[in-house]
Amino acid sequence: MPSASDILSALQSAFPGSIQESRVESDSRLWVTVDQKKLLEIAKFLRDKQGFDHYSGSAGVDRMADNLMEVVEIMASYANHNIVVMIKVKTPRDAPSVPSLVPLFWNANWYERESWEMFGINFEGHPELYPLLLGDDLVGAWPWRKDFKGYPDTTTGKRTVERVDASGLTSYRIGLTDEQVDSGQIPQRIEYPTFREREEAHIESESEMILHLGPQHAIVPGPFLLDVLVDGERIKKAFLDVGYIHKGIEKIMENRTYLQGIVYTDRMCYLASISNNEAYCGAVERLLGVTPPERAQYIRVIAAELSRIQSHLLGTGEFLTLLGSATYSPFQYMIIDREDVISLLESITGARITHTFVRFGGVRNDLPDGFAEQARKVMKMVREKTMEYKDLIAADPIYRKRMDGIGVISPQDARDLGLCGPPLRASDTPYDMRREDPILAYPDLDFKVISRKEGDSAARVDVRLDEILESVYIIEQCLDQIPEGPVQEKLPKKIKPEPGEAYYRTEDPRGEMGFYVVSDGSDKPYRVKVRGPFYATFQTFTPLLEGVYLADVVAIAGSMDACTSEVDR
Amino acid sequence: MVLNILKGYKMTFKTAFKDVEVTRTFPEFMMELPANERGIHELDATVCIGCGSCARICPNNCIEMVPFKYGNPLKNKKMVFPSIDFGRCMFCGLCVDECPVSCLKMGKNVVMAGWLRDDLILGPDKISVKRHTPQEVAALEEEARRLAAEKKKAAAAKAKAGDKKPAGAKKKKEEAGGES
Ligand code: SF4
Ligand code: SF4
Repeated sequence: MPSASDILSALQSAFPGSIQESRVESDSRLWVTVDQKKLLEIAKFLRDKQGFDHYSGSAGVDRMADNLMEVVEIMASYANHNIVVMIKVKTPRDAPSVPSLVPLFWNANWYERESWEMFGINFEGHPELYPLLLGDDLVGAWPWRKDFKGYPDTTTGKRTVERVDASGLTSYRIGLTDEQVDSGQIPQRIEYPTFREREEAHIESESEMILHLGPQHAIVPGPFLLDVLVDGERIKKAFLDVGYIHKGIEKIMENRTYLQGIVYTDRMCYLASISNNEAYCGAVERLLGVTPPERAQYIRVIAAELSRIQSHLLGTGEFLTLLGSATYSPFQYMIIDREDVISLLESITGARITHTFVRFGGVRNDLPDGFAEQARKVMKMVREKTMEYKDLIAADPIYRKRMDGIGVISPQDARDLGLCGPPLRASDTPYDMRREDPILAYPDLDFKVISRKEGDSAARVDVRLDEILESVYIIEQCLDQIPEGPVQEKLPKKIKPEPGEAYYRTEDPRGEMGFYVVSDGSDKPYRVKVRGPFYATFQTFTPLLEGVYLADVVAIAGSMDACTSEVDR
Repeated sequence: MVLNILKGYKMTFKTAFKDVEVTRTFPEFMMELPANERGIHELDATVCIGCGSCARICPNNCIEMVPFKYGNPLKNKKMVFPSIDFGRCMFCGLCVDECPVSCLKMGKNVVMAGWLRDDLILGPDKISVKRHTPQEVAALEEEARRLAAEKKKAAAAKAKAGDKKPAGAKKKKEEAGGES
């Protein structure tokens, strides 16, 4: 297996003079700054010659002091090696423009759209540079730039202008003052077709129509708009509109101290708050150069696995109910089981959902007394119940009819589309961050990466149920092996990492969760980028739903276990 | 097929005759909360030094330092204590971790319904679980005054011994004493 320095020397010999800066952080992390003219060629070289077949996302950074914008492309590999290479390109701040990677990696699409709407970085050759998360009125304000002054409050009723038109109808709109327009706070409207126009352009004949599923719908809780262009019962094309609950968490975290940032990671996805905590704290730990004590590592593993169990139980139960499993309603039973798991988590962290538990260099508190016995009891129950669920759905004819062979994704497709987490593993790709990155106590623990060959909706649920069993096994090992000792590394009271940057990934219940944190030496992060797992999976809905029956939309989309809150952030 | 569907009811039957706790009639029956529970804050007003660390760390800015009579004037010179707006608090516990003298804790009480928004702002009189009685406060104040007077005397003695410089300091001390 190559190491990061091998990749660097291969790059340097293939592109002499184009690698402007480089840093080998560890055997599996490489940072390079490259000439932006060569970006496409370098990415192609890495993909075709060095096995970097996994495009994992990109982030924009506004370096206002240097009058530059940076785009960081994160590339990894599904099976060839476990190196992550972070490729940086720099572009002048007044007219930022970099080549788009969409021609090489299909899934670069959303990441680049997001960087465009937030920073105003143009991506040359991007097929559809339209806003993704922001509303149309914010496009052009480039809110993630450091000199963004905040958007004037246009929601107040006081400034509403009432107008009566010729037919006697009254309409209201919120006007902008001239000063706001002059001061440049209000962007000039950038011309692009609206979402509605874009989807209607695809209607070809009388028999076709657009059906709206959402923003409230029976696929997952959490608002998003899924419009499908149907001809009869077949879906010809699907359109996704997200951003209904965009909270701007990345920007909020830039305005809070490092410690305060932890609470915002909780609120990105309440089913995975521990792994979000973990990913953020892990990244900051890399910046600070600390490792948590061994006992804390074990506690973090236990909490993360418990959180995975409860997330999978809720996700599966909810999905099976929405699917209309006729013979029984697993949701009720899974919720009862989940209750015990949540209570267990609560006994460690003190909160049921938003844990705020992981700290830089440790955890908030030690395990409570009698935790091991209680945990063993609950784990035994979870194992028995999960086996029972597996039996039940194996025998349920309605379930099998609706799930078997529905929404099959081939391994190659799954990789090309950039799926992650259980949906990816259901397509015969055992790719798991707990294996890829040796974080926490995972290297000392014995576990299998669950995968399935079939790639259909049923396989995706199976992977989750088996992962519950695997997590139970991990927790039992942790309870046996956990050493005594401190749970918090000594850190200065004021957390001020050296200027630098770090990228840290964990395995969220939904897949690869990465945090890219940039420090400028102050007590607040300069930039936080969340590479969420469901963001990657969500993007694949549009190609996956093409050509399926309308009735299967719930089975396919629901089996991905969605979390819109984390997509919108 | 029918048999299979019937098999699906296995779980239903099994659970139907078992005593499974699914819903509780709150507030008659409160679930058991663990010792670590992060509920409504509890303040030990006899220990709080009024440093305001909790107010500074709070990500939601929900702590305000307000005056309160039943603390310890020896430790808490300004006699200000945290008042928490539970309409904004998200129970993250950062304030508790930050307190240098560990006088702020989070308890098991999680019930806080009210009719008005202001009902959710709980001042030190509501969240303090330990406080001094008026007599104790009076005694402590007496003590504080005595200490201040002693200090003043010491300062005056020093001023006499030394040059004119500490005179300003002495004056300042006098003012401070007058305030408390
Ligand atoms: S628990 Fe968190 S939100 Fe509530 S007062 Fe303390 S720091 Fe603020
Ligand atoms: S509760 Fe603690 S942190 Fe807050 S003012 Fe009192 S001593 Fe300071």
